[in-house]
Formats: sequence, structure tokens, C-alpha cells
Amino acid sequence: MNEPTILKVTSQSEEVSRSPREWVRKNLFANIPNTVLTLVFGAVAIYAIRALLGFILSGERRWGAVATNMRLLMAQGYPADQFVRVWFTLGSLMALTGLTLAAWRAAGRLSIGKISIWVMNTGAIFALFAVIAPISWASRIGWLIAAAILLSIGLGLWFGLRGEKKRPSGSVPTVWFAFGLLGVLVLSLWTVPFGHYAFVEGEFIAESGRTVATSTKLPFTVMWLILIGAYLFGVLIRERIPGSRAKGFLIALWFLSPFILNWIVLRDPDFDYAHIASTDIPLALLFAIGGGLALYLLSKPDLGEIGRIVAIGFLLFAVFNWIAAFFGWYPMLQKVRISFVLLALAALISPNFASDRKTRLRFVTGWIVLIAVSHWLVTAINSPSTLELQGPTYLGGFSLTLFVAVLTLLLSFPLGVLLALGRTSSMPIARVLSTVYIESIRGVPLITILFFFSNILPLFLPEGMEIAELAAIVTGYTLFSAAYLAENVRGGLQSVMRGQYEAADAIGLTTSQRTGFIIVPQALRVSIPPLVGQAIGVFKETSLVAIVGAFDLLRIAAYVVPAQTEFLGVKREGLLLISAIYFIVAFSMSKYSQKLEERVGLGER
Amino acid sequence: MMSETPSQSFHHQKPPFYRDAIVVKWLFQLGALALVVFALWFLSSQARDNLAARDISTGFDFLSIDPGINLSEGIDTRPATGGRALWVGMVNTIRLATAGILAATVLGLFVGLARLSNNWIVNKLGSVFVETLRNIPLLVQIILYGAILANLGDLSYDSGWDNWVIWSNKGLSIPRVFIADGFYQWAIFMLVGSVAARWAYKSRQLLHDETGGDTYPWVASLGVLGLFAVIGWFIHPIFGWVGEVFGAIGDGISKIPEEALQAALSISAVLFAGKWIRNFLRSRRTPGGPAQLNDDDKFRLVFSGVVSGLVILIVYVVWPGLSSWMINSSSDLFGVLEDKFGNGRTGGPFGVDRPEVIKPGKFEKYGPSGLTMSIGFAAVFFGVVFYTAAFIAEIVRGGILAVPKGQIEAANSLGMKRSAALRTVILPQALRVMMPPLGNQYLNLTKNTSLAIAVGFSDLVQVGQTVGNQTGKNLSVFAIWMLFYLACSLTISVVVNFFNVRLKIVER
Repeated sequence: MNEPTILKVTSQSEEVSRSPREWVRKNLFANIPNTVLTLVFGAVAIYAIRALLGFILSGERRWGAVATNMRLLMAQGYPADQFVRVWFTLGSLMALTGLTLAAWRAAGRLSIGKISIWVMNTGAIFALFAVIAPISWASRIGWLIAAAILLSIGLGLWFGLRGEKKRPSGSVPTVWFAFGLLGVLVLSLWTVPFGHYAFVEGEFIAESGRTVATSTKLPFTVMWLILIGAYLFGVLIRERIPGSRAKGFLIALWFLSPFILNWIVLRDPDFDYAHIASTDIPLALLFAIGGGLALYLLSKPDLGEIGRIVAIGFLLFAVFNWIAAFFGWYPMLQKVRISFVLLALAALISPNFASDRKTRLRFVTGWIVLIAVSHWLVTAINSPSTLELQGPTYLGGFSLTLFVAVLTLLLSFPLGVLLALGRTSSMPIARVLSTVYIESIRGVPLITILFFFSNILPLFLPEGMEIAELAAIVTGYTLFSAAYLAENVRGGLQSVMRGQYEAADAIGLTTSQRTGFIIVPQALRVSIPPLVGQAIGVFKETSLVAIVGAFDLLRIAAYVVPAQTEFLGVKREGLLLISAIYFIVAFSMSKYSQKLEERVGLGER
Repeated sequence: MMSETPSQSFHHQKPPFYRDAIVVKWLFQLGALALVVFALWFLSSQARDNLAARDISTGFDFLSIDPGINLSEGIDTRPATGGRALWVGMVNTIRLATAGILAATVLGLFVGLARLSNNWIVNKLGSVFVETLRNIPLLVQIILYGAILANLGDLSYDSGWDNWVIWSNKGLSIPRVFIADGFYQWAIFMLVGSVAARWAYKSRQLLHDETGGDTYPWVASLGVLGLFAVIGWFIHPIFGWVGEVFGAIGDGISKIPEEALQAALSISAVLFAGKWIRNFLRSRRTPGGPAQLNDDDKFRLVFSGVVSGLVILIVYVVWPGLSSWMINSSSDLFGVLEDKFGNGRTGGPFGVDRPEVIKPGKFEKYGPSGLTMSIGFAAVFFGVVFYTAAFIAEIVRGGILAVPKGQIEAANSLGMKRSAALRTVILPQALRVMMPPLGNQYLNLTKNTSLAIAVGFSDLVQVGQTVGNQTGKNLSVFAIWMLFYLACSLTISVVVNFFNVRLKIVER
């Protein structure tokens, strides 16, 4: 639709059928100014690539600093004998990924022609590398041979599978192609010898016994197998269970995974089983059965106003519990207070489910699941960790970066939606409060907010209450990110047509039903692309927590590794590596968001 | 899924008060307000108690106390008071942000155009620039650039290119261009030259209208201007007499008696008001005689009279010294001009000071000999410029692609050249789309300069953090940060809005 051709280059893939000579003439040497541009910028490009490669391959670079500290960069002070927990976490995520790919029927197919072009391109890049990189002649020949092999594979695919038309026929599922690529990566771990570098008498020696690769190649292979196994399993069972239920289950698992994997698997809480048996389980049962019964009654269609009065009574009681706990009037378990708040909220929305028996039972089932999960989480989070740590936190490096990013996104999402609703609502006080909040947060840099929360927040807390450094940082980051998220969601809210509001009113929906079932889903659908952009931003800006003292990826690469006696001042290598890590994650997310934008079909309605 | 049950009647019955939409709305809002107020009250009372317990006083008295800190660079590296230190930080931030905005706009424009190029290499280079730089966190980039610059090698006689451009771990230095002796007389040449250039442009344009051929009016006018600049460079002392003229004017002004100026000011105020009133009344005249004046119009008439009266009052009563001050200052001004344009100024209009290394590791003087960007400044500058330029490039590209294809085809069918179409058809329309997101990027850039703390450049946040740690007034410093950045945001959005309004489609 928006393909103005005059200023835009036609994409390369459309030009496959044209001869290379014509392509070069059209795109590189169309006229004299174009030829000059090609020559000048070609020279610039070659110079830049050569300089970059020269920097990376120079003998002065000490990549050993990065290779040796890989564990530090990924999972800072995590005890080495407990590493199986890290692998379990990664394995769970892999299994979830595989199942998700199967459930969503990632059915894209890649044509053999495209793959052969990719292979040939890679070969061409290798050849280019061999020609312009400042390397020795021996390795240059090695690279050229690799390039020749790749080129011949590509050409073989191209001509060997040529179909009836000129193009090669046949295709491969994208998923399997990606699995294959990952497999090649894992395979390279088995062959490429990483060294464990040690600093002995001013000289670096590579120990052959304890290499980085030997410690990780087996687990990574297992991860790869788990991914494939989960995918195959998902494909097998996806015909037997209804798709919507499986998808809902997987979404719930994804949502819960950071809580379970972080607080339970990685943190290894020390459960007090006697207390669990005597208090926790009875409490959970009480709330599940009692609350479920109450909600079943409250969602009776002909209950009328009594239901709402009871719900408001619940709410007042739940709020009063917190006030009482705050002033110390009577003691009550934190878990019970949380459960009462949840019960009050569920009671408030219960008229929305006032329908036939089936709907009401589903509502009650949801409540029981909610109670089970929340009680389990509260118990696990409140149990002390048994890890013996050297550092301040059990997470560090890349794992901390991911943790902060995921937790911030999860927590700021509901807050951002609420703020956006507040800002667009017709209630003046709510609107002013949300607007002031959003604009003042957006007016200041993130770093000042982080300083506020890590330096100044302790001043605001009551006597005897403390907040962990990391919790303070995540709180500040969440409040910051929510303001930006609210603006993205607001854009979506404003794009919902007036008619939708009117239609919802016309069929007699209440305000909460209209907002929850009609308006917000449509608004979120429109704001998915900017929200993914926001997620990329949150991921990138987690690097700022390094300034306020958290040991994230950046802090370890920029301050911890250069301070080691073996690698004093070796900073640029680590920074280049983490740039690559950040780039890979952010770039693939942005590519995904572009795909999503096409699929959501923006601009088609 | 939410079927209405028959038992729910649709009679008109008033809902109970707790379900009345108005009541619920206001109860909810008042509750939210009460919660916020309570939270703020509670937190501030806690803060007061905690501060008292730690023996820290709040307030802004630290602004006038010596913080005892040294700053890495700025207009004052050893500030005497906390306020002065923060002021230095603000100046550094503004310096960085202004330079960054200019550079990022230019670079972003070029990269954005490159991404639209038909040339494969240029296009791909643009894409690689954008995709790489915007997907690496800015802070990582800043620290990486800082590390690379800090490893540049020590300053020696042969770092850089022959004292023109010098790069070392002291920073990046370029020659400093300054206004020299002959500048003002050369400026007269340029003034005459621009008149001539305008004439050349007009005449070439006229020729084009008559003959229809290519007459290159821009080339001609720029050529004329260049010619004047070159000739003026050598023979500008012939304008030495201009200084004498200014001197004579200054002498003349100083001879004017005070009373005469007072009278002239009063008379001109009265005349001006009278003329305005006459014009105003004339504009209200209708064919059927003077129109009825409404209250607003009467107020305007009275107001203009009052203003002229105020002028007279100020001249004679409130500030009688005003006229002598005006006379003195303008004769002083002409005195200065006489000196600037005077005879005996034979040097060139511009001078160049190259960075001079007097011994390894030391420039002759940091300020006057060349312009030197410190490592910290350069790291943050390149960081924010590259990062923001990548985003600006996307905005430029999107803005140009948003121009409807028909506009370009129309320009082509009129026989416009590509450059002319770009200048007069595409860019003006694209700018309209680009302006709001561009303003956002400028805001982001300004806020992102706060990452300077990572490389130790003394911007407001870094100075504030140091001052706060020294004095314990972190809370007050936070308030100043907030005010400063909000003021910056407001300034930028006012400027962007101004252009936005100017660029709007004028609807008739």
C-alpha cells in the first residue's frame, strides 16, 4: 500500500530473475553521480570494515578476558555447585518455547531458493572477509576455502532442486531451519576449543583441562534437545486437546515462569514444612473452598443488589485489615490480607459472570487456581534462600539484566494500562492525577529516578522498614516505565471508535464490562507494535542500573572485569561483546515487532 | 457470554445511591485523591522524621555554601558555592544538548536520505548504521566510546595531522576560528555583496522568465557573494572612513540636550497613540457612518491613550535620567563602532588558532589554542549524536515516504528536476509529518545527556550527585534536577510547536 517507488530501492529478492550484470548496472552504476557515490562509499565501507576487523583481530586484543569471564558475565556470583538450577531454568524456558511454537503452529516455510541465496550470501561474506581482513595468508586461504564450500553448497541447492520454472522448488519449515541453525551453533561448541586462561608469571597459558566449552557444551546440547523434544511433543498432542485451552495454559505458564523460576528454582527457598502443613495448606483450602462458595453465590443472576453490598463489605474489610496491620491493632498473616483483597476484587467483578451454571463454575475454578498460585508464591518468596553467595545478589550479569527487564515489564504493564485509562477517562480528578504523574515522570531522565529510588527512597520509609537495593531499583524502573507504557496504550485507546463505546452501552454492558471486554482489548491490539518497541527500550535501558550499583551485564563488562588483576584495564573487548549481546536481543525483537505489525494488520482497517 | 437474564427488569427505576454513576464516580475519585494525599503526607512525614534523626536539614541553603568539589570541566572548575557548581553543570548540559541536537539532526538527515537512495551501497550503509546503533544501549555506546578515546595514546608532537586535527587521550582538538581585526570592514563588503547578489538573483530570474532557459539564479548570486568575499578579504581597509562616520554620529548624539530628547519622546508617544486611534476608528467605519463601538473597542482606545500617558510619565517623572542614559549609551555605542570600523585595521577578517603542543602531554593553553573536546564530552557527544541520529534517520525516511506518491508524480509531470522536486514539493510536506517525532527525539537527547555521569563528564546530574553526596541534600538536588529537565522539555516543546504551527497546512 505504501510503496512509493521513486525514492525507494526495489528489494533484492524480487530481482533474482534478473541477471547479476543488469542488477549491478542498475543499482550501482546507473549514471555518473551514482557511480561516484558507489566508488566513494564502497571505499568508505571497505575502510570501515577493515578497521573494525583490524581492531577485533589485533594481537593487542585480549579476548581471553571475555572468554574466561563468560560465567561472570552470564550469571555473576551464582554458586558453581548449584549451577544445575540455572540449567534447569534455561531448560524450562526452552521446553516452553518448543511447546509454544507447536501450539501456535509456527507454520512458516522457507523456500529452498531463499535458503540457497542465504548460504551463498554467507559464502560471499566469508570471501569478502578473506580479502579485506588484515589477517595472515594462511588463514586467508582457510576462509576462502570455507567460502568456496558454502558457495558450492548454495549453488548445488539452487541448481540441484530446480523445479519446472527457473526457480528451485520445495521448501523447509522455518522452525526446523531455525533448529538446524541452533544445532550448528551447539555443534561448534563441541569443536571450537575455548581456553581457560590463567595468569602465570606475566604470561597467559591456556589450560586444556578446564575449558569453558567442556563445562557448557553438554548442557547446551541438552538444551537444544529439550527444545526439539518439546516441539515434537507439542506437535504430537496438539491435535488431541483444543487449541484455545492449550494456548491459555501456555500463556499462564509464561506469565508465571519468572516468578517460579526466579523465586523458587534459582533462589532455592528453605521451606518450613511443619508450618506449611499446619498453617499454609489449611489456609489455602479455607480460602479456596470458602471463597469459591461465596463467589458462586455472589454470581447468582437473580441476586440483585445484595451481591454488590456484600462485595463492598468485603472490600472495606480487606482495606481495613491493611490499615489495622499498619498501625498494629491486631495481627494477621500477610497472606490472609492479600487473599482478602483478592476475594473482594473477585466479588466486585462477580456480577459480570452472573450467567448459567457453567460460566459460574468456570469463574469459581479461576478463583481456586488464583488462590493456589498466590499462596504458593507468597510462601516461596517469604522462605529464606539457602544459597551461599559471594556477591550481593544471586542474580548477576546477563541473568540480572533479563530479570530486571522482564519483571519491570510485567509489573509496569497493569500500572500503565490503569494510568492510560485514568488519563483518558472523563473523571477530572483521576485525569489530572494521571496526567501530572505521566508528564512529570516523562520529563526527567531515568537515571535521576534511579538515583532517587536507590539513594533517597530509604529516607521516606518508616522506621525499621528496609528495601533491598535491587527491589528499590526495580520499583523505580517500574514506575518510570509505566508512564511511557501508559502513553502507548493511550494511543491505542484513542484509536477505538466512538461507536464501540456506544454499542457496548446499547447492549447494556456495565462500565467495567465495557472497559474490560470491549475497549481495552481493541486498544491493546492496536498498541502491540509500540508496546514491543517499549519492551526493547526497557531491555536496553536496564543497562542504567549499572550506574546505581547493580551488577548487571554492563557493570561486569565495564567495571568488574577490567578490575581483575589478570585483565587490568581490559575494557573494550567486554564492551564489544555485550554490545553484540544487546544487539542480537534487541534486533531480533524489533524484527519480530515488524512481523507482528504486518500480522496485526494495522492500516488495513 | 454475558446474557441478560429475564429477571432483570428494564423499568425506569432509580438505582440505589451507591450505584448511581455520579456518586460512584466521585466517591472513587475522592478516594483516589485521599489515597494520594495520604501517601504523600505519610512519606513526607517519615522523611522529616528520618532526616531529623540523621541530623540532616532540608532546604536549599547548600546553594550558597562551598561544597568543596572540583569539576572535570566547565566555565568554573572550582566553584565557590553549591549553586555555582550546579550552574556549571547546567551550562555543560545545555552545551552538550545544543551541540548534540545540531549534529544529530544533520547526521540523521543524511542517513535518512541515504536509506532512500537508489544506490545499493549507500542504501545498505544507511541501514547498517541505523540498525546497529539504535539496537545497542546508549550507555554501552557511551562507555565504549569513552574507553576507545581514552586509549588513543598520549599527546605528542606528531599525534594527529600537523596540528590541524589532533587526537590523543587529552581529547579531540580542532583549530579555533575567531573574528579578527578586519572583520567589521569585511562585513560591510559582505553587506554590499548581498545586495548585489540579490540583484543578480532577480535579474537571472527575470531572464529565466523571459527566455525559459536555465539561468541558474542561485549559482549566480552565490558567485557574486563569493566574489565580494574574496575581494573584500584583501581590500577591506578602504572602508576605514566608515569608522569616522560612526564617530561623527556619536559626537552629534552626545550634543543633543536632554530636554530635547524628553520632548521628542513625549511628542512621538502622543503622535503614535493618536495615529493608532485614528487608524482604528477608520477601520471601524462602515458605509453608513461610524460603527457602534463595543466595550472591548472602547477599552482599546482608552488603553492606547493610557500607554502614551505612561510614556510621558516615565520620561519626566518616574525616571528622569532615562533620556541622559539613552544619549550616553548610544554615543558610547557609536564610539565602540568607530573603533571597530576605524582606520588602521589591516588584518584579515578571520583568524585561525591551531592547537599547539608545546611538550608531550601538554597543549600551549587549553582554551585559546584550538578547540579541544575532552574525552568525557566527546564520549557523551558521539554517543547521543549517533544514537539519536539513528532514530532521526528513521523519522526522516518515514516522513518522506509519507508524502503521497501523486505529489512526486505531479512534480515529475511538471518537468521539475529531482532536486527541485525534493526541495519544493517533498521536503515541505515531509517536514510536517516529521516535526512532532523530531521534537520527541530532541527531548530524549537532552535527557540522555544525563548519562554523562558514566564517563565523568560534569553535567548537571553528575555535579548534582557529587554535591548531594557531599552535603547530604540529595532531596533538594533531586528537586533541582526535576525543575531543570522539565524546563528543558518545555523550552524544546515550545520551539517545536512554533515550527509546527508555521508548517501547518493553511486552510482557507
